[in-house]
Amino acid sequence: MRPEVLHPSTLSDALAALAAYGEEARPLAGGTALVLLLHHRLIAPRVLICLEEVRELRGFQFAEEGIRIGAMVRLQELARFPQIRERLPALALACREVGNIRIRNQATLGGNLAEADYASDPPIALMALEAILEVHGPNGPREIPISEFFRGPYTTALEPGELITAVRTPFPPPGSRMTYLKFRTRSAEDRPCLGVAALVAFEDGICRELRIAVGAACETPQRRPEVERLAIGRPLTEVVIRAIAQGYADQIETLNDLRGSAAYRKRMIEVHVRRALEEVRDGHRSFSAGAGC
Amino acid sequence: MAIGRSVPVRDAEARVRGAVAYLADLRLPGMLTAKIVRSPFPHARIRHLDPRPALRIPGVVAILTAEDFNRPGAPRLFYGVDRKDQPVVARDRVRYVGEPVAAIAAETPEAAEEAAQAIEVEYEELPAVFDPLTAAKPEAPRVHEDCPGNVFLHTRLRHGDLEAGFAAADLIVEETYTTPPACHAALEPHGVIAQWADGRLTVWSATQAPFVVQETLAELFGLPREAVRVIVPPLGGGYGGKGYVRLEPLTAVLAWKVGGRPVRLILERSEEFVTLTRHAAWIRIRTGVRRDGTLTARQVEVYWGAGAYADITPRLLRSAGLVRVVGPYRIPAVHVDAYGVYTNLPPAGPFRGTMSFEGAWAYESHMDTIAHALGMDPLELRRRNLLRPGDRFCTGEVIEEAFFWECLEAAARHVGWDQPYEKGEGMRRRGRGLAVMMKSTLPRSRSECRLVLRADGVLELHTGTVEMGQGAHTALAQIAAAETEIPLERVQVIGPDTAQVPYDATTSASRATSMMGAAIREAAARLKEEMRRRAAPLLEVDPEELILQGAGVTLRGRPEVWIAWEEVLRRHGLEALEAHGVFETQGGLDPETGQGIASPHWHQGAGACEVEVDIETGKVRILRYCAAAYAGRVINPALATLQNEGNMVFGLGQALMEQIFFDQGQPLNANMSDYQIPSLRDLPEVLESVLLESPEGSIHGLGEMTLPPVAPAIANAIFDAVGVRIRDLPITPEKIWRALHGE
Amino acid sequence: MANRERFALHVNGQIHVVEAEPTRRLLDVLRADLGLTSVREGCGIGVCGACTVLMGGRPVSSCLLLVSQVHHQEIVTVEGLGGNGVLHPVQQAFIEHFAFQCAYCTPGFILSTVAMLEKEPDLDEQVLGEYLSGNLCRCGSYLHILKAVRTVARGRQHGFS
Repeated sequence: MRPEVLHPSTLSDALAALAAYGEEARPLAGGTALVLLLHHRLIAPRVLICLEEVRELRGFQFAEEGIRIGAMVRLQELARFPQIRERLPALALACREVGNIRIRNQATLGGNLAEADYASDPPIALMALEAILEVHGPNGPREIPISEFFRGPYTTALEPGELITAVRTPFPPPGSRMTYLKFRTRSAEDRPCLGVAALVAFEDGICRELRIAVGAACETPQRRPEVERLAIGRPLTEVVIRAIAQGYADQIETLNDLRGSAAYRKRMIEVHVRRALEEVRDGHRSFSAGAGC
Repeated sequence: MAIGRSVPVRDAEARVRGAVAYLADLRLPGMLTAKIVRSPFPHARIRHLDPRPALRIPGVVAILTAEDFNRPGAPRLFYGVDRKDQPVVARDRVRYVGEPVAAIAAETPEAAEEAAQAIEVEYEELPAVFDPLTAAKPEAPRVHEDCPGNVFLHTRLRHGDLEAGFAAADLIVEETYTTPPACHAALEPHGVIAQWADGRLTVWSATQAPFVVQETLAELFGLPREAVRVIVPPLGGGYGGKGYVRLEPLTAVLAWKVGGRPVRLILERSEEFVTLTRHAAWIRIRTGVRRDGTLTARQVEVYWGAGAYADITPRLLRSAGLVRVVGPYRIPAVHVDAYGVYTNLPPAGPFRGTMSFEGAWAYESHMDTIAHALGMDPLELRRRNLLRPGDRFCTGEVIEEAFFWECLEAAARHVGWDQPYEKGEGMRRRGRGLAVMMKSTLPRSRSECRLVLRADGVLELHTGTVEMGQGAHTALAQIAAAETEIPLERVQVIGPDTAQVPYDATTSASRATSMMGAAIREAAARLKEEMRRRAAPLLEVDPEELILQGAGVTLRGRPEVWIAWEEVLRRHGLEALEAHGVFETQGGLDPETGQGIASPHWHQGAGACEVEVDIETGKVRILRYCAAAYAGRVINPALATLQNEGNMVFGLGQALMEQIFFDQGQPLNANMSDYQIPSLRDLPEVLESVLLESPEGSIHGLGEMTLPPVAPAIANAIFDAVGVRIRDLPITPEKIWRALHGE
Repeated sequence: MANRERFALHVNGQIHVVEAEPTRRLLDVLRADLGLTSVREGCGIGVCGACTVLMGGRPVSSCLLLVSQVHHQEIVTVEGLGGNGVLHPVQQAFIEHFAFQCAYCTPGFILSTVAMLEKEPDLDEQVLGEYLSGNLCRCGSYLHILKAVRTVARGRQHGFS
């Protein structure tokens, strides 16, 4: 029996359907990953709960302190949305690097996070941006900081019956600069061998805040706050940058796949963390950077 | 004049409307879907195979297993274009992951899929061997019981006194180069439809070789050739992957079991990676050279990993596998030993640039190593040794059309070879490299065609040449128009369909335009002769006084005397006039010495490039690439340029990213995300195509000649930039980085 | 055993009612049920672009969409371009510039180009790469494709719609 597809139009209907069918249901967001699993019979759910028409999952909301992005917002929209490009350029850059334009037109932010593919760009940027996931489930709403969300490749902190409804991304402190670097080893269409997101905030040339997230080279996106702290209260000199890059390379357990060996990836972390920091220090290439970026 | 003009391809409008009917677009009434059940093990004994649970699934019409071949009147189980070592479906043993063990015909794809899951097969795993060098050891597990050591063929080329050659050298350089299996990755997958009616078989196949398929199937079923009809729709890319015989035997036997309904098999993308690959090659090359750069001797030893079945490899080894690994140089002494080796991987076969790609990777990288050792400009080293017209190649044949130097020099000039450039000091270093190659086409092959001049003024060209995107039908129509002086828009191409068109060996080895073109010239000459003979009595003159002009015949020197051919045909009561054309090449090499004729003419191409290497990551950016080919007489400049650019792009993938990874025989990247091919953003910043034309020259196929130089030209540029030599393809950033950082 | 449903699909300006399992891929519906064979299966995983269609004017991979996901959306395939025997300017440019060899990829490239020209007022190399590098051409006709696309883009600046 092929699965049935339900089309709830409200969040409560979607959650009710999820609760009713339990493990026999799978939520369907953009579908770029789920449709393949279905087609190749790697999953056999009884129902798919299509989230396309769920009003609560759509659109952006802007507030003083940040942006709230509906789970069904497409990656291409994030890549091109002017306010995201201005205020959160690392997220726009990371979304622009995903797959190809067709995938970006279809894949959603919520779906991307829920899939937890290790070789994906947006989660890395969201780690550096300290995003918070809004989740609804049988026990009501809760929030999950992104740093606690990824438990392993294709494994997340979502409980059965829970849906990501939105991603809240706080604006970084004034004077911040950020970037996202994707390193590919084969074609220009390849998935990342490594992704690095970096954010830095200066005050009178002194580094007040530094965040670096590394992903695709390891099982989940990673930050190392103890290494980031090496920069706090200092100017971002070449010595500091190199120490941080070295620290990230040393402390992150890398993986082997067709895009590179674990040993190579360690060294690439060092190179790209350094390059990302040099970039945000010098302020170039932060594309369409508006005030404060 | 129809030749030398960039006319759009014949069905250009259908192509941009998406209206070209590829194999997957054909619909026949009652058509069933086929699905293959494949081996999950690289080498195993089949202990038990039970199709019965699958037969109970609604919609399943027939299941083919090796058992069916025991029935009276059954077809033969084994086939192969050279040695018949490959079973249609495995009988008691499987030899690679993906080998067919059963095939299902069902009413729907869903039923076929379900049945494939339901067939029960029990295997007992056997020791397996994967790389050709290990497989060739006497103690290696045997892929075929009757072939100890797994070397099914060893061919030799012996030219000159090798010992004396090495003794005369001031320097001897020896290196080893390898290439991995790769996938053709045509966007259109393999597909076949087969249908039986009244003891006759009709097959629609996306094949490059309809007549080889016809012959193989006729033999398999013990039928006369005429009882098998092969029809070929336009191909969505071939690149060698659709050459010779692929899935036609399995589909035809499954259709035989079904009875009268048509059966259609279209491969899933993952199956493409276990259907045919490029050879895994291991090449040891040793060269003696004098201080002044004169080559004195070359010895090449090459192990061609053929996969589990010999397929076309033995034929290739008797010529291509020897002469395509030497290089276009004057060398007094050359020895080549080529070994065809069975392994537990999918069969290997023709692949755009077959064996020239692997050969040039070795000999052109090697030439730069030699140049570096001598402290000589790589271009100069080649200039001193390249074959010139009238020189003798290592097969003993004299090369008349030799423009290797001109190709190489043109490519070098386009990247500013003699201009100084900034190599850079920081993270990014620049370098330049070049390479040249020679490739044989098929000796001893035949192309035939028929020209039919109809009373309505249309000239039909009946040809077995397959249109796979190279524009062959357009180029051939241009030749037919030029030779008959009939306007191009009145030329219609019919075929390929073995029931309608005369024999043609195959559309591969860049032979179509040249060989079929020659057959057309002959047919046109006969047609004109016939026309004159028929028209002469009507005009009461000698046939010699008549010439074909416009849509009729006129008297030499008296254009006012003219008769339309419709009129000629009408007055003779004919509906059409026909003429047959044949072109055949001779040759072949002595099996013990490799001496003889390897090719009726030689493909010649070169490439030069400038690259930038990121020394911290090993990542390479191609700043500029020029591909130069000797094109001889160009039929359609735009199509010729497309072919040449295609070579470069295809070569770029082979050079930098393409490899099927096998882990204990299991393909790890059998999809187009994990197996990457070049995209638009991978192009060099500047890409130039140069075609060296010669109006008196012969016609050459252009779909391969500048492909083999791509990988060595890039590797040589990397060496120039950062001083590391990569010898194992593909050239990944990690390999460069490891070489740079001594890891 | 199939749970088929009726879907009203808006394809190339017409409403087509098809009966299909809700999880049938849009690719299969377009090809098998509607006979729109310009939409082709290449890689089956959204990488190659041979099955590109426009949905609400945006390029998507029909191999990654279920029929039940698209039934309120406007779908365009190459069969829906031009009209009355007239080619769309992008199709015309592809012919004039020899922008294909085997042409299996051509409808996908044409649709991506059409979407780009309609959605992007400012065309630069970045945008061009963003729209087109996700369509693969194994024959390697990229340079000619770029020539065709740039020519139409220039034409658009001079006033064709």
